[in-house]
Amino acid sequence: MKDSTVHELFDLLNVFVLKRSDNGTFQPLGSIPEWFLHLFPEALEPDRSCAPEEWSPFLENFLFDANEFWNKNKKGRTFSGPWIEKDSAGREFSLEASAVCLKDGKFFVVENLSKAYEVQLKLLQVGRDNSLYNELLEEEVRKRTAQIQDREEEVALRLVSAAEFRDDETGAHIRRMGAYSAVLAKKLGWSSGEIDNIRIAAPMHDIGKIGIPDSVLLKPGRLTDEEYDVMKQHAEIGGKMLAGSKTRMINMAHDIALYHHEKWDGSGYPSGLPGDEIPLSARVVAVADVYDALVHKRVYKPPLSEVETLGIMKKTKGHHFDPNLIDIFLDSLEDFRKIAAYDGSGKLPIV
Amino acid sequence: MIQKKICMIGSFAVGKTSLVSRFVDSIFSDKYITTVGVKIDKKTISVGTQDMTLVLWDLEGEDEFQKFRVSYLRGTSGYLLVSDGTRPNTIDVALKLQQEVETAIGAVPFIFIINKHDLIDEWKINESDIDHLRSKGWEVIKTSAKLGQAVEEAFLTLGARMLGT
Ligand SMILES: Nc1nc2c(ncn2[C@@H]2O[C@H](COP(=O)(O)OP(=O)(O)OP(=O)(O)O)[C@@H](O)[C@H]2O)c(=O)[nH]1
Ligand SMILES: [Fe+2]
Ligand SMILES: [Fe+2]
Ligand SMILES: [Mg+2]
Repeated sequence: MKDSTVHELFDLLNVFVLKRSDNGTFQPLGSIPEWFLHLFPEALEPDRSCAPEEWSPFLENFLFDANEFWNKNKKGRTFSGPWIEKDSAGREFSLEASAVCLKDGKFFVVENLSKAYEVQLKLLQVGRDNSLYNELLEEEVRKRTAQIQDREEEVALRLVSAAEFRDDETGAHIRRMGAYSAVLAKKLGWSSGEIDNIRIAAPMHDIGKIGIPDSVLLKPGRLTDEEYDVMKQHAEIGGKMLAGSKTRMINMAHDIALYHHEKWDGSGYPSGLPGDEIPLSARVVAVADVYDALVHKRVYKPPLSEVETLGIMKKTKGHHFDPNLIDIFLDSLEDFRKIAAYDGSGKLPIV
Repeated sequence: MIQKKICMIGSFAVGKTSLVSRFVDSIFSDKYITTVGVKIDKKTISVGTQDMTLVLWDLEGEDEFQKFRVSYLRGTSGYLLVSDGTRPNTIDVALKLQQEVETAIGAVPFIFIINKHDLIDEWKINESDIDHLRSKGWEVIKTSAKLGQAVEEAFLTLGARMLGT
């Protein structure tokens, strides 16, 4: 091939090619493209040696990689990745360098990417604009989901409060129940979705009290055996109210309402289920419910100290409560204390 | 005069190019034009009585399309680790990149930048997240390339760190 053909070819390909000698110096091949002279006017003055590392800090850096590549003496080509060079007027040029290793020669190539760069830029721009937009959408979905969840919780709590205000269990007890249960659920390693579910479902544990006549529910003093049997029905009434839902949270609320008075040794009501036949959600709520009742004042009792409360709960560990849950409860005492202090005003301590 | 190479490192669209443009040319554009490859700028600063030329390597943001090239870090004296306060995951990307950089070139000075401070109302990270970063002994600076807030401060602080003052 004639030299002039080679030069024409280089010109058309928008490349400036240098041959690298074994002593590490470079010789331009063909004529020097105009764009190169425009960008690096001092690079190839006659009395200067041809030193690409002086042309730009980018090339200086790439020559380390290039030399490593040439020294391997393996046929192939390695690229620098694109970079932007500015001319004296601030106009930007996109270039890419590469090191080429052939059987009888090593070459250093600087390519003016022009069109190819624009195509790559457009592709990446579309990709990144799209990623940004997706991030925005995800954020919006996250926000909306949280809003819906808050609303659900609010509706549930208001309905439950309406039912429970009839006896001495206050709205504050109901809200605390959600928080205690969530603490235990988290320690049990539940998913965040399930933790949210029990936070909303636990407050419904006594919703069946809505079906208990005032004469029993509001009676001051001790209940007779018959009255106590009537009172116990709140579990089954609650179970019926919440039965047959397709919603996971309501199903959990059903288990809780129906089984929160079951005991680990099978001596509870309404079904006398033993051990882990009692749904875990109901076992969790049982611990929270008794703890909260003990540490607060009720019509029939003053508040107990923490020492007394813990004494009672530990003593009945394997009889009333799931022993594993009592251990977890004791481990979470700091959170329980904070929640117990919540009196219904302001914000519930979120854990 | 001494020269120091500084790299701009962070997720895409956090404002690396905008910070350099603000610092070097005092300009800002709202339009997002992504960087492909590397853009190098220079600016001379004075730290105390010492003048130095910063050679700023604006690297394209790490994302699913483009892998971070470790070879660009060769000879780096310091870097700005840039995140975007409105996009919490850019903090995670910054943390990941910080580890990669440290593995590649060892511990060199850097400043953790949380950019787009002018959009503070839309920030998704709060003071406790920032305290957490500071608790690692890192310098955290909130900048706005748009308004020019703390941009110079960020580069000068890094300059001082690189001089060991
Ligand atoms: N409001 C506001 N917008 C900013 C700020 N800094 C950058 N932006 C905008 O954020 C977008 C991305 O900025 P760039 O500087 O291109 O981000 P980059 O990190 O260089 O992005 P890549 O090169 O793609 O990695 C552009 O639309 C900028 O206008 C800032 O401080 N405030
Ligand atoms: Fe009950
Ligand atoms: Fe209760
Ligand atoms: Mg950029």
